[in-house]
Amino acid sequence: MNPVEQYFQTMTRRHFFRRGAMGLGGAALASLLPKTGLQGQALLGGRTGTHFAPKAKRAIYLFMAGAPSQIDMLDYKPSLDRFFDTDLPDSVRQGQRLTTMTSGQARFPIAPSKFKFARHGQAGAWVSDLLPYTAKMVDDISIVRSVHTEAINHDPAITYICTGHQLPGRASLGSWLSYGLGTMNENLPDFVVMTPTWTGRKTAQALYNRLWGSGFLPSKHQGVALRSSGDPVLFLSNPEGVDASSRRRLLDRLARFNERTKERYGDPETQTRIDQYEMAFRMQSSIPGLTDLSDEPDHVMDMYGEDAKTPGTYAASCLLARRMIERDVRFVQIFHRGWDQHGNIAEDLPNQCRDIDQASWALVQDLKARGLLEDTLVIWGGEFGRTVYCQGKLTRDNYGRDHHPRCFPIWMAGGGIKPGIVYGKTDDFSYNIVENPVHIHDLNATILDRLGIDHERLSVKFQGLDVRLTGVEEHGPVEALLS
Amino acid sequence: MFIYRREWLVGSGLLLLTGLAQLSVKAADALDFNRDVRPILSDHCYACHGPDANQRKADLRLDEEAAAKADLGGYAAIVDGKPEDSELVERILTSDEDDLMPPPEYKKPLSQDQIEILRQWIQDGARWANHWSFEPISRPSPPAQEDDEWSRNPIDRFVLERLNEEELDPQPEASREVLIRRVSFDLTGLPPTPEEVDSFIADDSPDAYERLVDRLLRSSRYGEHMARFWLDAARYGDTHGLHLDNYREMWPYRDWVVNAFNRNLSYRDFVIEQLAGDLLPNPTRDQIVATGFNRCNVSTSEGGSIKEEVYTRNVVDRVVTTSTVFMGLTFECTRCHDHKFDPFTMKDFYSFFAYFNSIDGEPLDGNRKEHAPILRLPSDYQTEQMEHFDREISVLKKQVENPWKEVDEAQRAWEAELLRDKEEEEQNPSALVLNDWYSVGPFGDVRLYLLPRKHGPEGKPIDLEASYKTSTDETVKWKRRPNWKDGVVHSDLTGDTAANFLYRVIESQVEQTVKVSLGSDDGIKVYLNQKELLSKDVSRGAAADQEILDLPLKKGRNEFLMKIANFGGATGFYFALVDGASALPEEVLKIVQLPASDRSDEQKKKLQEHYRTKESEYPALVAAIDELKTLREKRSAVDRDIPLTLVWKERKEPRKAFILTRGEYDQKAEEVVRRTPASLPPVSDDYPNDRLGLAYWLTDPSHPLTARVAVNRFWQQLFGVGLVKTSEDFGSQGEPPSHPELLDWLSATFRENGWDVKALMKTMVMSATYRQSSKLDPHRIERDPENRLYARGPRFRLDAEMLRDQALSVSGLLVEQMGGSSVKPPQPDGLWFAVGYSGSNTVKFEADKGGDRVHRRSLYTFIKRTSPPPQMSTFDGPSREACVVRRERTNTPMQALLLLNDPQYVEAARGLAERVLSESHASDRDRAERLWRICLGRFPEGGELEDLTNAYQEELSFFQEREEAAKGLIGIGDVPPAEGSDPAKLAAWTTVASLVLNLDEVVTKN
Repeated sequence: MNPVEQYFQTMTRRHFFRRGAMGLGGAALASLLPKTGLQGQALLGGRTGTHFAPKAKRAIYLFMAGAPSQIDMLDYKPSLDRFFDTDLPDSVRQGQRLTTMTSGQARFPIAPSKFKFARHGQAGAWVSDLLPYTAKMVDDISIVRSVHTEAINHDPAITYICTGHQLPGRASLGSWLSYGLGTMNENLPDFVVMTPTWTGRKTAQALYNRLWGSGFLPSKHQGVALRSSGDPVLFLSNPEGVDASSRRRLLDRLARFNERTKERYGDPETQTRIDQYEMAFRMQSSIPGLTDLSDEPDHVMDMYGEDAKTPGTYAASCLLARRMIERDVRFVQIFHRGWDQHGNIAEDLPNQCRDIDQASWALVQDLKARGLLEDTLVIWGGEFGRTVYCQGKLTRDNYGRDHHPRCFPIWMAGGGIKPGIVYGKTDDFSYNIVENPVHIHDLNATILDRLGIDHERLSVKFQGLDVRLTGVEEHGPVEALLS
Repeated sequence: MFIYRREWLVGSGLLLLTGLAQLSVKAADALDFNRDVRPILSDHCYACHGPDANQRKADLRLDEEAAAKADLGGYAAIVDGKPEDSELVERILTSDEDDLMPPPEYKKPLSQDQIEILRQWIQDGARWANHWSFEPISRPSPPAQEDDEWSRNPIDRFVLERLNEEELDPQPEASREVLIRRVSFDLTGLPPTPEEVDSFIADDSPDAYERLVDRLLRSSRYGEHMARFWLDAARYGDTHGLHLDNYREMWPYRDWVVNAFNRNLSYRDFVIEQLAGDLLPNPTRDQIVATGFNRCNVSTSEGGSIKEEVYTRNVVDRVVTTSTVFMGLTFECTRCHDHKFDPFTMKDFYSFFAYFNSIDGEPLDGNRKEHAPILRLPSDYQTEQMEHFDREISVLKKQVENPWKEVDEAQRAWEAELLRDKEEEEQNPSALVLNDWYSVGPFGDVRLYLLPRKHGPEGKPIDLEASYKTSTDETVKWKRRPNWKDGVVHSDLTGDTAANFLYRVIESQVEQTVKVSLGSDDGIKVYLNQKELLSKDVSRGAAADQEILDLPLKKGRNEFLMKIANFGGATGFYFALVDGASALPEEVLKIVQLPASDRSDEQKKKLQEHYRTKESEYPALVAAIDELKTLREKRSAVDRDIPLTLVWKERKEPRKAFILTRGEYDQKAEEVVRRTPASLPPVSDDYPNDRLGLAYWLTDPSHPLTARVAVNRFWQQLFGVGLVKTSEDFGSQGEPPSHPELLDWLSATFRENGWDVKALMKTMVMSATYRQSSKLDPHRIERDPENRLYARGPRFRLDAEMLRDQALSVSGLLVEQMGGSSVKPPQPDGLWFAVGYSGSNTVKFEADKGGDRVHRRSLYTFIKRTSPPPQMSTFDGPSREACVVRRERTNTPMQALLLLNDPQYVEAARGLAERVLSESHASDRDRAERLWRICLGRFPEGGELEDLTNAYQEELSFFQEREEAAKGLIGIGDVPPAEGSDPAKLAAWTTVASLVLNLDEVVTKN
């Protein structure tokens, strides 16, 4: 290929084309690009490729911000009943540091779950009656009960799991995927984020744009927030008085002027700009089509539940996630808030679970029915777990739980994940992990692995470090989960 | 060309195949250790054979010459001139996987070229050199080239030498129109006006360009432009950045930076004042404001946070930022282990940490804008007002305290009655029933409005069945609180920066006045039967007896309502009934019980104060006390409006510092003292061993990094890429400089010129290198895609701020008011709300109104760090959560959507259209030309004017048939269009203006 053409085609990715990018052959690249081919690739930019054949091409991360109470949902501890209102043994706590919200408590009385559990599916997974739909699909998903982290407060913990570091400044999972894998889609962003409403605890923990930010990666890799009111994507709509035909005229003229500029300066960046304006125009027509749910048949709407009809709910977001996956958006992340049950679990937790249970189930079923689950990875989980001991007033019927970093559950399904597994085990108090610990870096390494990326080789130089999503310590994919 | 080798050879096989091989061969003729060899060793070997003793394998280190060449028992890793005897060469060439280095599992194999470089270098004698950036700054003489008619100053001679080596020619000087636009953007962040362009074109004196540069350097816009690069590095923001992400008052620091550049504060003082202004002898107010640099770090007060952990994080952020910004060093790595690539240890890190760990303030910010230590900055007017009130208060106070015959007599009577009452004692004040408490809330609001503004149930009869909307659109209802007892502090209220209401019914069998003791965290308002009895704006924790209040109860049912306004952190209240005499402070009663002759002066004074303020009903006295109260309220209103800023204040006794094992705050190991890294020059004994000494050390002529790092960043501002591309990393993992001698010449000159930033900027923009045309051709693209050799002028997209400022400027909307609190131009609804913590005082965005708030330069836009303005972040503006010294520069469809559709840009297009219509009264063609020149400076050519005029004609006929559409388009924005404008014409010109504002040439510095 002529070097100049080559340069034009690699213009935007050249910047970040570095050592870590090796191992991306034309074959892998092509296999990831069934629709656009090389031309589209060059047009859209981005350094792309996989390290090995991916099991999943896309992913959806259902993030439960605030930390769901594992003891009331997925980590069944029947023996706790006997310990109601007795103190957590020191032998269990082992000097574990506590947040200052409960470290001053005179005692740490054990709060058994008030919710009923039953075994489900061939795996015999225990699920509480807060999650009847999740219970129905335990053979489709793989539950990991032994994820752990070091952070004990929300901001550092959620920043940690989403960007690999407790302090702001790093790239998020989705932006790593966009950077590493590039785009499959000419009309939509690679990485889309939704922040639906919730019905549990009112004063919800904050989210931060950094959770889908690109950190040290170019901002084109940052997550694009899909909004439920106003423009679904920022500044998507033409201004008042400007219709599609006016816009088209403007873009045609713009292209003509910019072609002259290209001749004048010979700068390849001008061509990229022409292309980006065209992509913007395509987004203007493709995104309204994406967000308009009127073409969804009743049985699908019913499957996601009544909430799906209300824009901005978790259910509507799940349905949109499926529509994006169908359109080959690489990574969709839904941040559902309100899971910080320091008190009033009796009222708030059932509401939170109702928000997400049916829709999460529907999403998995819907993907499965469309044959998309095979190469789409679905992840569900929060930033840490909650304590077995009560925060605040303890009764049999109501109680609260503080933050607990030492164990929490997630589930995964789809692309390259063995279904029907229950992995990892915690002690009788859901306090310490006794079997198969999975660090959050392992979890992220697993996600990257399924998408064809060796987490050790996806790195960027930043502040003198080869920074990776999974940190500097030894971590890796959880082999037992991989199919 | 060698500089590219590493990246291209290693990174992209594609480009290697395209004819660059010859360059590498050419460069390989003279291998340079720092440029060619160290990067390979650093990247592939130092992780196991480098400075980190804990990770070192086989006891071999390759980062020090002696160790690398040491006898290892009959052999050595490196034998000068003898690759065949060097174990290193053996091990990188072997086919035995067990012996191969780097080990395959390390996943960093060497390329063939790298192997060849190492071999060749050893063959050439394995000449070692210290890492380039730790060597003292030299003062190379600018090389002289034969027949050099191009060079204008020494910069060019360095650049030309390299171009000659690479057989490339520089470009001729850019046209005057392009040049003035380029240099105006680079020195002021704004485009030139057509008049400025015309006068520059017309000026044929030899120093025309120099006078232009001098004019720009004198402009106040210069400081605003220069400041914003620094504010990225200093991570300046208007919120705390973590968790609640509440408002933080810090803008005086931003203004300090702008002024520092405008008054051309020497870079040396710029460093010293920011790092240690507070430690200077008799520091000025400005010098203390400057210390805000080390207060810009993100902070938190998240519930449950462990103080010590947050303290450690805050200090680490300061260490990392200071070392990155001033020294280009990546200290972050040494927080947990010795540096793997550069000669820094954990001990170095924590010894450096010890300079920054002794701030006199709490690590948790309390979610308050005034996270201490702070400096209050009253304006002259405010100072005057405060003094005025202080004077008035002192006069009145005297009046209230001086002997007053009637009052003093009444006091004696009161004392006597009190004693009698006390004897009777059996009185029965009660016949009172205090019903259960009810509460409702929290109602979030801006701190300032929490108390004064009415929320929820305020100001209406209480309906316990009612529900109320909060500011975050949530519904809250009354909750019965049967368990709340009187006489204890209740702290189970919620809501940060929010108000809660407490309500109870008090039934009284007789009309009577009873005293209650109240406490509140923080502010409090009390209503009895809807009548306000008390309002107090105060920050405190709740405790008994903070307020003693008389409740004039009517017979029957009384409604008691209390508003507790929490200004941050925990919140709660206290309530207890006090019966008649016992409402007296214990102390006062005791004094009354003493015979008058036995009372000390102090006791007398206390008693008098109590009587006069709490008991007396003497009209003149009550009036005076009331007036005093009013004056105090007025004073505190002025006080509240006084701007403040976070600053540094050192504790009296420094805190101890320890090495923290694995960087964990609770894993203290060896205690360390303040010391700079051992591998850098020592601190002179003349300097104090504190931040001030540290600042002197950084700016000492012996320091190899400070000047280089600063010069490189200024260069990067102009040329897009620094002479050292990795401007944040001058260590061995960073890129070596493309023009080491030029960097040193600039650094040495900078330092010798008294660290004069304007002089440096001038030298750079005066160079022929800078003034070249930025035209590319295939040859130049092929040879030098990133323009690292400077065979052409810089051309790249304008930064976020420049784009918006340009649009406001060309439209005539820009308000050039400097400084002051940050402004909130409009942004789409819901961005803050989508992520914000419900109780945060920045959870809801409300755009400001009025040109002086919405049409200011982007530098003044409010930055909420967890949700920065999209006009900034879409164009690679950082969130300001962490230090950024180099922005990326992307080209995305989201940018296109923003420039086309953001109402502010549409408004700017309309403003530009109006400007064209009013400034040019001739033909449409003239107007089109005027529009073009306002944006680009140059005249349209080659069909551009025809296309533009045609575009207008087409749009005009389009809008003439669609008047509603035309009106819709021109109605967008904060400022309405001028009266009497023809909607179709204005809409058509608006469309053309929007087209021009989106041109590649307009969004680019050419």
